[in-house]
Amino acid sequence: MDKRSPLALYRSMLLIRAVEERLALSHQQGLVHGACHTYVGQESVAAGVCAQLADADAVFSTHRGHGHALAKGMQPLRLVAELYGREAGCSGGRGGSMHLFEPAIGMMGTSGIVGPCILQAVGAAYAFRLARLPHVGVAFFGDGAVNNGAFHEGLNMAAIWKLPVLFVCENNQFATEVPFASVAGNPSVAARGAAYRIPSFEIDGNDALAVEQAAREAVEAARLGNGPTLLECRTYRTRPHAEGMGDFTYRTREEVERWKALCPIARLRQHLLDLGMATGPDLDAMAAMAAAEAEAAHVAAVASPFPLASSALAHVLAPASATPPEPQPPTRPARTLSFMKATHEALAEAMARDPRIFVLGEGIGQRGGNFATTSGLHAIHGPERLRDTPICERGFVGLACGAAMAGARPVVDFMFADFLLDAVGEILNQVAKMHYMSSGRLRMPVLLRGCIGIGHSAATHHSGSYYSMYAHFPGLRVAVPSSPADAMGLLRTALAGDDPVLFLEHRELLNIKGPVPEGSHALPFGKAAVVREGSHVTVVALALMVHRALHACSVLAEEGISVELIDPRTVAPLDLQTILASVAKTGRLLVVDEDFAHCGIGAEIAAGVANAGFDDLDAPIRRLNGAASPTPYSPTLESALVPDADAIARAIRDLCAE
Amino acid sequence: MPSEIQLPRLGWSMEEGRFLGWLVRPGERVAAGQPLFTVEGDKATQDVEASASGRLVPAPDAPAEGETVAVGRVLGWLLADGEAAPTPANPGTPIAPAEPARADATAPVPPSLASPAAPISPVHAFPASPRARRAARARGVDLASLSPSGTAGRIRERDVLAATPAPRAHPQSRARTDWREEPLSPARRTIAARLSHGHPRPVPVTLNLRCDASRLVALRMAFKVRAATDPAEPAPTLNDILVHLVGIALGQHPVLTASWAGDHLRFPRVIHVGFAVDTPDGLRVPVLRDVCNTPLKELAAQARAMAGAARSGRLAPADTEGACFTVTNLGALGIESFTPVVNPPESAILGVGAVVREAVPLEDGGFAALDRMTLSLTFDHRVLDGAPAARFLQSLRSLIEHPPVQPPPSPSHP
Ligand SMILES: Cc1ncc(C[n+]2csc(CCOP(=O)(O)OP(=O)(O)O)c2C)c(N)n1
Ligand SMILES: [Mg+2]
Repeated sequence: MDKRSPLALYRSMLLIRAVEERLALSHQQGLVHGACHTYVGQESVAAGVCAQLADADAVFSTHRGHGHALAKGMQPLRLVAELYGREAGCSGGRGGSMHLFEPAIGMMGTSGIVGPCILQAVGAAYAFRLARLPHVGVAFFGDGAVNNGAFHEGLNMAAIWKLPVLFVCENNQFATEVPFASVAGNPSVAARGAAYRIPSFEIDGNDALAVEQAAREAVEAARLGNGPTLLECRTYRTRPHAEGMGDFTYRTREEVERWKALCPIARLRQHLLDLGMATGPDLDAMAAMAAAEAEAAHVAAVASPFPLASSALAHVLAPASATPPEPQPPTRPARTLSFMKATHEALAEAMARDPRIFVLGEGIGQRGGNFATTSGLHAIHGPERLRDTPICERGFVGLACGAAMAGARPVVDFMFADFLLDAVGEILNQVAKMHYMSSGRLRMPVLLRGCIGIGHSAATHHSGSYYSMYAHFPGLRVAVPSSPADAMGLLRTALAGDDPVLFLEHRELLNIKGPVPEGSHALPFGKAAVVREGSHVTVVALALMVHRALHACSVLAEEGISVELIDPRTVAPLDLQTILASVAKTGRLLVVDEDFAHCGIGAEIAAGVANAGFDDLDAPIRRLNGAASPTPYSPTLESALVPDADAIARAIRDLCAE
Repeated sequence: MPSEIQLPRLGWSMEEGRFLGWLVRPGERVAAGQPLFTVEGDKATQDVEASASGRLVPAPDAPAEGETVAVGRVLGWLLADGEAAPTPANPGTPIAPAEPARADATAPVPPSLASPAAPISPVHAFPASPRARRAARARGVDLASLSPSGTAGRIRERDVLAATPAPRAHPQSRARTDWREEPLSPARRTIAARLSHGHPRPVPVTLNLRCDASRLVALRMAFKVRAATDPAEPAPTLNDILVHLVGIALGQHPVLTASWAGDHLRFPRVIHVGFAVDTPDGLRVPVLRDVCNTPLKELAAQARAMAGAARSGRLAPADTEGACFTVTNLGALGIESFTPVVNPPESAILGVGAVVREAVPLEDGGFAALDRMTLSLTFDHRVLDGAPAARFLQSLRSLIEHPPVQPPPSPSHP
């Protein structure tokens, strides 16, 4: 049967309804361990849209995603078992109602955060464009999402790049208890789409046939390269926002009853009967089948085992085999390159080899990047792979997330780490969690690179370091190289790996020069460098502080103090072993860190050494950090914040005299 | 099967709810889906439908109307005809966990003071660093007898070291200057785990090998002859020559110098070898430095000085630290072979037996009287297997049988 035929739509809607009613009952019975947002009353939208889609088309959805998953072809058991927290669930029990993943059929995930699905659909569309594939990205979202920045940033990017994406707003008139009319400056979602010059249509969302037709035209247009479409489907959920929540503080029983009478399933049934496409008993039999299918899913789900507690940490990162290169001894003599040139070479070479890599950023196209990170690459690879973006950090990081989910390998060149704070939600909630939430099925090779560090009177919005903050979160790798060779080696590894990497380049180091091995020199994450061997005291430093500490080491050597200097190179993962081995030798540890002390990487190192190297310690562990203050502008104020070689030497002397 | 009726969870954070009452009378039959009772959660009041058909039997301890109870509390059962209500395992158990009982009204005491099992450590005049405590433990030093020399008023390791002679090389001591680490191969890890039954302890195995010591004995004799005529050239002992040869063999088989470090092996960058010396105070093991790069003559001089110091109790602590292999020789006492014990963190030790003149069958059917000697190697099987250990012994045997040592020029007859 054609998926788009009215009878097929009817069947799809019946299945959604039957499963939702079963889940509502299961929620009461305590079988659903967390939230359960049902889709009752809106089935026509999922059915009408998904009827247009093949497995390769990518759907991104929201907290209210059961219907989208089923309409996209998910087996009811996979959905029900997920809500029951079982092994057989579509996310292996990692997600529950709001995190439904089945990438094999293009169900790219639902999200517990309102908004990001819009950016991810745009990203998948970008990846399809890049790979010259005829697929489309589809975002389902509620009226609640259209007041969110993700909606505006996503629509704008889809419009300017004419991406094959379909925006489906299910305007059910409430975001939890808040009426859309009360929070919408312009209550027409379609009008908002039109403002971005996206063909936008307001349709009766409870009319399955109207949705089917509009979606069909939109998907065809997208496949033909005519860009995005927005559908505003007016509809209504007839159960509470989530199961177990009260419903009549913000709307009346009468209003709900009125909408129940406009039930999209009853409406399509009448249509089928009127046109003589089916008899009443035929349709009753279909309903009974759907109920039986839902019940069978329930029974099988209850019988399915819970996942083993011992598997709770599986999938935080991609399997190691995909990533770590062994450090290779340089075969040919080293050359001298600047830090910038070294990373440029690594990127240029990876882009030449791997067509899935593309770069997003402001001024990274023809201009070649604020720091010449992409200089000359636009001329080779063109605008699609060196994409100048609007100033919407959250938007293009969200796009990168969706593109990675759809198989591309995005590089986000964000200039300054301070700017990236606008995208923190996308990085931590989406990019870093996606591999885990998809139980290892979606690889997330997203490389985020840009500058950190105080210097150049850049003041407080162009000077932050932030690596300690990002290192806090599982799922991310954070590299902070201090030399051209390390920068090149770590960037190569990042570009070849399957995990998200935050690659932070200290602005004061961009022009330093150093020996860089010939050949495809790559460095594993989580392997510290012993920059200088010594016996009296261990100093751990990162980025610029490595250079300042080195300076202090030579001064101290003349005084007879022998310092062992260690550069962890990556703060996540952190190579504690090398530090411990050094402390076992010296008995003393000082961590020099430009970033703030409080809850910082120095605290982490100190805790690790106090724990595993307690008996080796001959003195308290000391930290020397950047001062806890926003970064001031004036050179005298600015330099007062950051440890210099003198301060480092003093701290080492004090520690040795302890 | 009786179908249990529980207080449902209406929202994610709901832990308890108010039971507002049954919607059917006890004993009445209900159909699945029929409203059964009303609950008030933190957000809403809801009629809860029957999940099965049956006769309603409230639990003996069912809540009264308006009572607040925990989510999951059994309110009753729906029973089929002929079924009886199960007896609750623990009727009347309060749902909320009881407040942990307070022993009495006295002020809380820190556990370390309260527990008689944990004696309070003696108060020291000065605090000591963990490293200093470890050093003091290893040397049996009373920290209270020391005073600190640093600015913080804390006893450091160096204060302990300054106060005491080192008894023996310590696994963690500073003398293990320079190591290279090598991760364990998965196979090594498995073998080690199997052999040591999961306990972090060495797994000693001893191999014995006979060798022909004729040339060694001849070499030693040549040195002795020379020494007799030239007092400036004292003869190296048999043991000195052996240590020299062991150094060469260790260079060829570095795994014998590795030490076990839990998840990796440590290889010394420089090979120092200990040799056992019998002294009036018992066994001492002074260490010969960099045996691979030290000429035999110097090695012998070092050994002579150290053996002397050991016997007279004047061995410096540093002289007994840093070895990665030990040679012990009971030949002088006539012992032919024995099982030497490895000195941790080293993982191998060579025992050398007495040189014994034996009749050895020759190919042509005859016999020859040869000076023979037994080498006994004990090694930690976690670190290496039997075959590589055997190959080391074979190398050593061939070095002993064909020593690459220039004999001294024979005394000149002018
Ligand atoms: C960023 C974010 N803020 C708040 C929430 C809490 N929340 C969950 S659903 C929801 C309402 C969403 O309304 P809408 O987008 O219209 O979808 P509907 O529930 O109506 O289907 C809110 C506020 C959230 N999930 N994400
Ligand atoms: Mg809504």
